[in-house]
Amino acid sequence: MRQSIIQCQQLNHLYYGKAALSDVNFELMAGEPIALIGPNGAGKTTLLSILSGFLRPTSGVVRLFGHQPGAAQLVGKVSALPQDARLDPSFTVIEQLVFYARLQGLSRHLAIRESSRVLEAVSLTESANEMPPVLSHGMAKRVSIAQSLIGKPELILLDEPTAGLDPVNVRKVRAIITEQSSETTFIISSHDLTELDRLCRQMLLLENGILQSEKMGVNEQHGPSQFITLQMETCSSSDVIAKLKALKGIVTVTNSQKNEYIVEYDSFLYSQMDLEVIQCIKANHWKYRQLSHGKTLEEKLFN
Amino acid sequence: MQKGFFKQFILICQFEIKRGFTTQKGLLVLVTFGIVWSVILLYPICFAAELVRQEKGWAQDFSFFEFFGLGAIHQWPIPEFGVLWQLALILFPMLSITLAADQTCSDRERGTLRFIVLRSSRDSIFFGRFAGVLVIQALLICVATISTFILVSLRQVELIFSALPSLLAITINLILVILPFTAMMAILSVKVKSARQATIWAILIWTFLAGIISGFAEYLPMLSYFKILVPGYQLSDLAQLSGWQTLQLSYIPILQGFFLLMLGRWIMVRQAL
Repeated sequence: MRQSIIQCQQLNHLYYGKAALSDVNFELMAGEPIALIGPNGAGKTTLLSILSGFLRPTSGVVRLFGHQPGAAQLVGKVSALPQDARLDPSFTVIEQLVFYARLQGLSRHLAIRESSRVLEAVSLTESANEMPPVLSHGMAKRVSIAQSLIGKPELILLDEPTAGLDPVNVRKVRAIITEQSSETTFIISSHDLTELDRLCRQMLLLENGILQSEKMGVNEQHGPSQFITLQMETCSSSDVIAKLKALKGIVTVTNSQKNEYIVEYDSFLYSQMDLEVIQCIKANHWKYRQLSHGKTLEEKLFN
Repeated sequence: MQKGFFKQFILICQFEIKRGFTTQKGLLVLVTFGIVWSVILLYPICFAAELVRQEKGWAQDFSFFEFFGLGAIHQWPIPEFGVLWQLALILFPMLSITLAADQTCSDRERGTLRFIVLRSSRDSIFFGRFAGVLVIQALLICVATISTFILVSLRQVELIFSALPSLLAITINLILVILPFTAMMAILSVKVKSARQATIWAILIWTFLAGIISGFAEYLPMLSYFKILVPGYQLSDLAQLSGWQTLQLSYIPILQGFFLLMLGRWIMVRQAL
């Protein structure tokens, strides 16, 4: 049986009388990365700050592994990448990572080894003796991610881990999360829906401080109607829609974005619709970029 | 206290001491202190101590120091310590207001405190930083008193043994004197955004709180007891004492320090980081 890692009941938080979180209730189990999404000001950072113990909720109950956020029992078990947090400019990267590892209870020798390990994980071994002000934005972000990996915590809360990073660094961050996600549950807050779509199978959607519980769970493959998202090379959209609609079992075909089509079909009658669609593409000599089951996260949220 | 408090407390305290003695900023403060203290030692202390010795030899009633309200200097068996005592009672609280101003504020503003709070309790951060800053100041006090002791020894080597009690009394007392000032800065640092703001608030509190309490006490005399809450409340009385007598008032900074630390802890636990 999977372990419950986070429980929030009737969680409320007010900033100067304005509700940042309103009656948020959810329970999360250990497992694959979980996306925390919502527009600016929705309360994502507030929620992560409460879970990390940086902020006390105005009311409600929060439990991480059965303990209050910030409890001594959570040291080494829960870690976080706080948004925009920077290292102390007076000490080298390695000095600070060793200090953090020692606070987590590691001996000096083990702390040095662990700090080197996490720096290696973010490909920053050569920056160990640098002072934080000389690091680029991407490097500083990766160092911050490195500190969250110290001691192999069971739960890591990442607030905007890829914000402001170049594509190379985004790939590195994604690789780190993918590598570690067998041992660690990640909760990732981000505006990069494509990135979250690749990494996460569950999501929490916050809007105006209210959790949109009906949208929890990415996987909608339960009913008879299922979806295929098709990205094509440039070709006539009316032609594509018409030809796909002509296939047996297709319910609707919509042109969601330029060269992107959402195909809805009856999965009970036609379980191998992906093969039918590919055969249709081949027969019409079209070229496609990507075919994936289900809708993109963006489609699920906004359509 | 949370599990692992003492270990985290020691680590945070050590890191703070390391900041004071190994970082560029810390070293700059130490060098500045060293230069300023050398000047104070070689000129005001040397000169004033010489004047005290000369006054003791005079038959006339006039005393330069009594004219300025510093007659208590004469009570000290070794004039250098008398002068050090009067100067240090002003200098070290002021130094404390600047040196101890940035216990947590810049780390909180930068977000660094979040990295630390993920791994340690807020209690260990608050008390660890306080203890680290106090140790640094205590070491500076030791430098000041020991250098005065060396100055006395160089002037007259026979005074070494008679100077030791004064050295100890002043060192212990000065550490106690800065205790509530450091605690006050710990509280301010928890709430304000920068060290400069903390220093400004400290000066405002220090200067005006006693005045405000005195003003209200005109109408309600009971309020004058609240003056005991102001760090440095005992300094004017302390300046009139000498030798081990100076420890008579040590209960005041200890109680103030305790009260301010408890208040600071209460605020720290509730503070958003």
